[in-house]
Formats: sequence, structure tokens, C-alpha cells
Amino acid sequence: MKRTKKLIGIISMMVLVLALAACGNNSSNKSGSDKNGGTGTEKLAKISLFQSKVEIAEALEDLADKYKAETGNEVEVWGSAGDSYITQLQTKLAASEGPTIFSVQPGAEADKFASYYYDMSNEEYVKYISPNMALESDSKVVGVPTGVEGFGLVYNKALVDPSTITDVASLTAALEQFKADGVNGLSLSQEAYFLIGHIINTPFALQTDPVAYIEQLNKGEVKMSDTAEFQEFAQVMKVIRDNSINPMEVTYDVQMGDFASGKTAIVHQGNWSYSMLADYDDIEAGMMALPISGNKKIAVDIPAAWVINNTASAEQIAAANAFINWLYTSETGKNTIVNEFGFIPAVTTIEATGLDPLSQEVFEATQSGETIPWALNYFPQGIIINDLAPATSEFFLDNSMTPEQYLEKLDNVWAKATK
Amino acid sequence: MKATGRTITSILIVILALLFLSPIYIMLVNSFKTRSELYENALALPSSFSFEYYQKAMEKMNFLHVFFNSAYVTIVTVICVVVLASMTAWMLVRKDNLMSKIIFYSFVATMLIPFQTLMMPLMQVMDWIRTNLHIPMLNTHGGLIFMNIGFHAGIAVFLYHGFMKSIPIALEEAATLDGCSKFGLFWRIVFPLLKTITVTVAILDIIATWNDYLLPSLVLSDKGLRTIQLSTFYFFGEFTIVWNQAMAGLTLTIIPIVIFYAFAQKYIIKGVAAGAVK
Amino acid sequence: MNKKMDRVWYAIFTMPLFLIFLTIVIIPFIIGIIYSFITWNGIPANPKVFVGFDNYVAIFQDERFITSAWNTLKFTVLALISINVFGLVFSLIVTAGFKASNLARTLFFMPNLIGGLILGYIWKFLFTDGFKQIGNLTGLDSIFFNWLINPNFALYALVIVFTWQMAGYTMIIYIAGIQGIPDEVMEAAKVDGANLWTRLTKIVFPLLMPSFTICLFLSLSGAFKIYDVNLSLTGGGPIHSTELFAMNIFNEIFGYGNYGLGQAKAIIFFLVVALVTLTQVIITKKKEVQM
Repeated sequence: MKRTKKLIGIISMMVLVLALAACGNNSSNKSGSDKNGGTGTEKLAKISLFQSKVEIAEALEDLADKYKAETGNEVEVWGSAGDSYITQLQTKLAASEGPTIFSVQPGAEADKFASYYYDMSNEEYVKYISPNMALESDSKVVGVPTGVEGFGLVYNKALVDPSTITDVASLTAALEQFKADGVNGLSLSQEAYFLIGHIINTPFALQTDPVAYIEQLNKGEVKMSDTAEFQEFAQVMKVIRDNSINPMEVTYDVQMGDFASGKTAIVHQGNWSYSMLADYDDIEAGMMALPISGNKKIAVDIPAAWVINNTASAEQIAAANAFINWLYTSETGKNTIVNEFGFIPAVTTIEATGLDPLSQEVFEATQSGETIPWALNYFPQGIIINDLAPATSEFFLDNSMTPEQYLEKLDNVWAKATK
Repeated sequence: MKATGRTITSILIVILALLFLSPIYIMLVNSFKTRSELYENALALPSSFSFEYYQKAMEKMNFLHVFFNSAYVTIVTVICVVVLASMTAWMLVRKDNLMSKIIFYSFVATMLIPFQTLMMPLMQVMDWIRTNLHIPMLNTHGGLIFMNIGFHAGIAVFLYHGFMKSIPIALEEAATLDGCSKFGLFWRIVFPLLKTITVTVAILDIIATWNDYLLPSLVLSDKGLRTIQLSTFYFFGEFTIVWNQAMAGLTLTIIPIVIFYAFAQKYIIKGVAAGAVK
Repeated sequence: MNKKMDRVWYAIFTMPLFLIFLTIVIIPFIIGIIYSFITWNGIPANPKVFVGFDNYVAIFQDERFITSAWNTLKFTVLALISINVFGLVFSLIVTAGFKASNLARTLFFMPNLIGGLILGYIWKFLFTDGFKQIGNLTGLDSIFFNWLINPNFALYALVIVFTWQMAGYTMIIYIAGIQGIPDEVMEAAKVDGANLWTRLTKIVFPLLMPSFTICLFLSLSGAFKIYDVNLSLTGGGPIHSTELFAMNIFNEIFGYGNYGLGQAKAIIFFLVVALVTLTQVIITKKKEVQM
């Protein structure tokens, strides 16, 4: 009697352990048969693709379906919420579980993952990339731009005549006039990039060599408070604080809602913000430069590039190359980039047609070359969210802080973050 | 007289509870609004009730598929946790030696580790298991379940351990004299007495597993494996949130557990009546 | 022989779970401890340099970490009190046998069914739009304004949201405890003429000690470890005034890419919290009465 009970006990334990093991085995068989299926026919290896822009996730999955229908090859599109992308990417790469193709922002982020890049220099599709738009590392081409984006002062054409705002003095006059008229002049919003990340790009980009300036700043050889463009920038921030609704009270949703309903005349935003206007009645919006030191150019650059993971298998790398080539040469691929993703193309094979008004202005700026770069991509990692934004919230919450003190504060937090 | 007093108190309790729920009201009303309507007033009732956004959210999420993925992961995880943790906790309470103390406090202590600091080493260990032991821990439901059990072990053992003391030892001693083996003793005598706490552990564990985002997001990559929480990523861009679909999607994700909870708590109340016997 | 069998049974009952736990939690944690002695940016191909205790020394010069420690402490104490007071009161209300008990029990527990991230987003609407409207309507705009952009109030907003989320959770554990109290004991006390307060303090609370142990521990560890709600409600702002431990560590590891330093912070954090909570568990466990 006692024995049988014991036996039952042991058997139950074994069943439990087996059940656990079975969960694992089950899936291993599945992935095993996938691989056999892949090598059995002429098909290319199955690849995975991971990227940060949630807005195009659905279109990308559709594209993968079309790719499979046209060529028989498979692309698995992974998904992540926008702000957890980098964490997931880093963790998965560290566990040798990385995607075959992934997206990175040029600058500090791209440098971080540089050891994973496959050298694309000899690939066919590289020659389609528009001039100066490729992601390079050690003078090798390692990334294809996903598209082009631009930001600056987005204004309501019914309220603002851009030709009257050409420098800080005229901007100040305009904002004071708006305040007198009961209109919110220039609105920023509380999200780190929209509060400070983008708007502080202009004084950096106006330096003769922005990247060199950032390096000097990191070493403590220059100070923002001693640089003319930054002094003007701090003045602009003060004018915003004096004449507009406190940006700390404004979220991106509210910022664009106020803009769309005519309560706000100007916002500092990019062409991506046009999608936020979709649910509102028609509004005519344009984009102009932030006129620090008489600047007339909007900030245009590639927000991200596709790179291929060099730790993937040779078959997967070949399949990844084939996919990127298809993306930029097939009708389906080209069409998807412009019409479904809504990207401003950064490759010569695609004509930009049917862009929204803001993207159209950005595209025209690229064509004419009247642009300044995104120097913010070269900022030390994490500095916008962790240091610049808190310092800026302090400036907006404390009305007694002068522009000079604000710049000193920025210098201090920068020095601390890079020490 | 006393009866009306109680009714009034009941009504007050419900009002308090409803106030408590106001954030859920926000979630519900905004699942019906356009972006511009939400901008006008996030608190007002929507101008029209159409289930358009629910439909869109269901399509995007591939709702049925991810629902079954989540249900599978959750059910298997919770069964394993309940079985293993109740056995472990019972043994730890009954054999109160140094070894038991070490095991118990290591279960308890590690509940304090923030997950963010474990995730990178954890993934590397899983990678090591995959390459050296050939057990596919990453990108499989089995692997996720295995990790869930590990992470939920602490709290389950802790809960069982706390309530094991209400089981009278005398019953167990009598059963041992009858010739019951430890295994039989536990499953036939002890486990049925743990009903109330088992339901509690199960409820908490089901919620934890169902709502988990971070761990599945690291373990599962393929679209076909996504759980219900992972599938809500479509609505959350870095700066833009598609509020109406997000709120609709989230309402959809919590409906199954609300229903489950409503059933489970009836069971707890039955447990009270049964408990009176002991 | 019997002793040997006892050991086998002991292993069969405890080892399966412990081994899983070992692979999933303990081994990665030990690897994490090793990482705290190196500098590394988290990319496997990049160099890992052994620096001994440098990371630990650096922590104590990190003002932001120390501020965050202070904020976490403040937050934890406040949250601990309010979560358990509300949880206990709720559990007493819904077990008192009112008609609405079942409904109330479900409603109080509902906030728990929503994940932490989205909770934060929803409450953000309440604090930004809701508080403003209440302030405008009632004229009490010194109380009802947007707490989230005021460095002195944002932490309290976080306490409110976390209480709202966790009170129902502790409630059901307290309920389980209350239901374990035999009815005869309560009846006997009533017959003896003990009033409500005496019944609570002399009978209910002592018998609820296991529940207190668990609830105090869970709210302590939950508050110390809070991340999701912190991220979506305040993002640590304004001006770092609500950046709590877990967020500070996360920013160090994934924001600045200082993997070793972040791990060292986590170890310090773990030691401090373990000290506090294990003391609590040992103290309250001693007060538990065996039936």
C-alpha cells in the first residue's frame, strides 16, 4: 500500500517534469521543420526585421505578406512599443537572438551597435542611396536610410506670414503680438524631444562643424553660454516662456490639438506631426526655419537607417540583401515606402509623389539643399531625456531663471553627463 | 429599521467603489472618441457609441489568436506555479530546519530584485541553455512559461508559507498513522484545506501572467507567438498614442480577466462556507 | 532508513521549483553581481574592463542617485501606509456582510486588472484635465491643479495612483486572512460584549498577522521596485523629482549605457531593501500565532 502511493507520487512528478519539457520540445520541432522547409526548396532563408517606428508596423507586415506572395521568401516582422525598442534590441542581440535587419538612428545610437553591422559597400542597392544619405562606419556603407524627416517652426498659414519672421527680434515681436491678440504664439510640449531635443538642435547645427563642437563641449573646451547662437537660443526660450502657455502643461496631443483648432499659431514640430492633424478639419500648415542668428534653413536628416546584422547566418545575410534590394527596386516596395509608410524617400529610385504638405516642404528643402543637419544625433547617449529636458523644465517652471542662468545650467548638466 | 440602515450603507459602499473606478471610466469613454473629440474633453461622454475602434483594434491585434496564446501561457504557468509552490511551501513549513530557512528566504529576498537588472543576464543564461543543452528557451512559449514559473515562484511560496500555519498538524499526524505517504498526505489531506489561499494565489498569478509585458517582449519575437499584451504595441508609438484604439484594445485585454475574477470570487465565498467546518 | 526517505521526500517536494528558480533568478542575479565590478556598455563585442569597487564608489558621488534614494524612501513609506490602510478597510467593509459586498469587492479589485503602464497614462488624463476642471468648477484651484508638473506634488500623485492600484491587491489577501478566523471566536467575543474596536484589536488583528506579513512585504517591495507607473505617469519628472530607484537604474543601464554602474546601483539597492523588508518579515512572522 505504502509502496504504490510512493510510486504514484514519483510518477506524477515525472509527468510534471515531462510536461514542462514537452512545452519546450514542441516548439523546437516546429522551428526545426521550418528550417528544413527553407533548405528543401530554392527559397531564401527566412529573415527577421525589427524597427522602432510603430506607425509603420502594420504597413510593414502587409509588405512582408506581399513580398512572400511575389517572391516566396519570408520576412518575420517583429514589433515593439516605440519607447522599448532599443532595450529589446540590445537585450536580444546580447542573447544571440537578434533580428537579421534592424533600424538604428545615426549618431550615438548607431555607434553603439557598430560592431553588429554587415558591410554593405559592395551591394547593388547602395548605389541608389541619395548623396550623403548613407549610414557609414569606418568609411564603409553599413546602413540604408529609411527616409528623410525634417523639423522647424510649423505654422498656421492663416495666422502667420513667414516672410515677417526672419530673426529673433521679429519672432519676439510676433509672439508678443499674438499674446496681445489672445493667441498662443509658439507652443512646445512636455515630451523631452519636443521640449528641448529638437529646438536646441538649431544652435548646434549652425556651428561651422557641429560634430566637432559637440566633442569640444564633451571635453569642456567650449561653453554654450559663451557661444552667440546659444545666447540667442536662450532668448527665444525666454520669449516663449513670457508669451506662450507653459510647455510643461502641454502634451503632444494637446499641442497639435491647439494648433489644429487655431488656438496656437506656431509649433516647433516635424513633418511627422501632420498625421496628428488627420482627425481635424482642414488646416493649412507650412514649415519655416527657427530664425536663430538669421537662420533660414529647416533641420533635415535621416531619422534611421536599415542595417544588416553580421552575426546572422550567411544565408540570412544573402536573404536580407535580396529583401532590401527588392524594397528599393520593385514597384510594390517603392510604392509602399512613399504611400504606406509616408516616408520622404532618400533613394534615387523612388519619386516623391503625393506627399502631405509638410513632407512636401521638407522634400523641396532636400532638393534645394537649403537644410541644416540633425546635430542632436551626435549628442552623448541619453542626454536629452536625462539631463537637458529636466534642466529645461526647471527653466519653464521657475520664472525667475534668466536666459544666462539657463545656459549655465545646460553647461553644468552637460559636463556632468559626459564626465 | 436596521435593514434600511444596511441598505443605505450598501449604497454608500457602491458609490465609493464607483468613485474608485473613475479612471476606468476614462478608459471606456475614450475608446469611442476621435482624436479631436478627445482633445476637446477627455472626461466627457462620447458623442456617439460606435464600436468602430474596437473592431479596428481587434483586427490589428489579431485578437483571437493572441487571446489563445495568452490563455495557453497563463493556464500552464498558473497550474505549474500552484502545484510546485504549494508542495514546496508545505515542506518548508513542516521541516523547519536550516535548509528550509535558506530556501524560504532566498525565495523571499529575490522578490526584491528589480527585473530590469536581471533581464540581460537572464537572456544570456537562456542563450547558454539553448546552445549547450539544446533546449529552446528563447522565442518559444515553453521557454516563457519556464521563466514565468521561476519569477512567480517567490510570491506563491511566500503566500502559501504564510497560510500553511492555519492547517492543524493533528490532521496530518492522524493521516500518517493511517499509512499515508507524504505525497498522498499532501494531495489528499493538506491541499484541499488550502483552497482559499490557492484561489488567491491563482488569481494574483493569472493577473500577473496575463498583464506581463516586459518579459514576453524579450522572450517572444515571432508574430505568431505574441501574447495579448504584446499585441497592443501597435497603438504605442514613441510619441504618439492612438488613444481610441489603444483604449479599446486595452478594454478588450482586461475583459477576460474581469469575467474570470467575477467567477473566481464566487468560489472564494463558497470557500467561506466550507471553511466553517474546519 | 526512515530519515533517508524523509530527505528524498524533501527533495521531491522542494527541488523542482527551486531548480527552476535557481536558473531563472539566482544565476542571472549572480552574473549581475559580477557585472557590477566591470565597466561595459552592454554590447557583447565591446570591451569589459574590471574596475573592482570603482562603480560602488562612484554611486556615492552620484547626487541624482542619492536624491532618488531619498524620494524612493519617502514614496515607499507613504505608499506602504496608504495601501495597507485602504486595503484593510476595504477588506473589513466587504466581509461585513452587506448586500453590496460582492459588487464592491469586484470594483475595488478592478484597478489591478489593468497593467501598470496604461494606468499611468489614464491617470495622467485625470491629473491634467480632471483636476483642472474640478479646480475651475469648485474654485479650489490651490488643491486641484495639475500635480504632475509641480515638483512638490508629483510624488504624491504617484502615491495616489500606486495606492489605487495596490489597495485591491492587499484587500484580497486580507480577505483570505479574515475568512480564516473561525466564526465561533467572533461570536463568543460578541456575546462577551466586546465592542468593535476591541474585537478588531484583540482578535482580528492578531489573527491577521500572516496577512500583515505578506501585505507589508508586498507593498514594501512593490513600492521600492515601482517602474511602470513611474515611467508612464511622470517619467521621473519634473526635474527628476519623481525619479525612483528602478528608473534611475534603468536610465543608467539603458539610457547612458553604463552597464556596470547600473548593476552596482542595483546591488546596493537590493541590499538596502533586503535589509529593510527581511527585518519586517522576521518581526511580523514572530508575531504570528499558530492555531
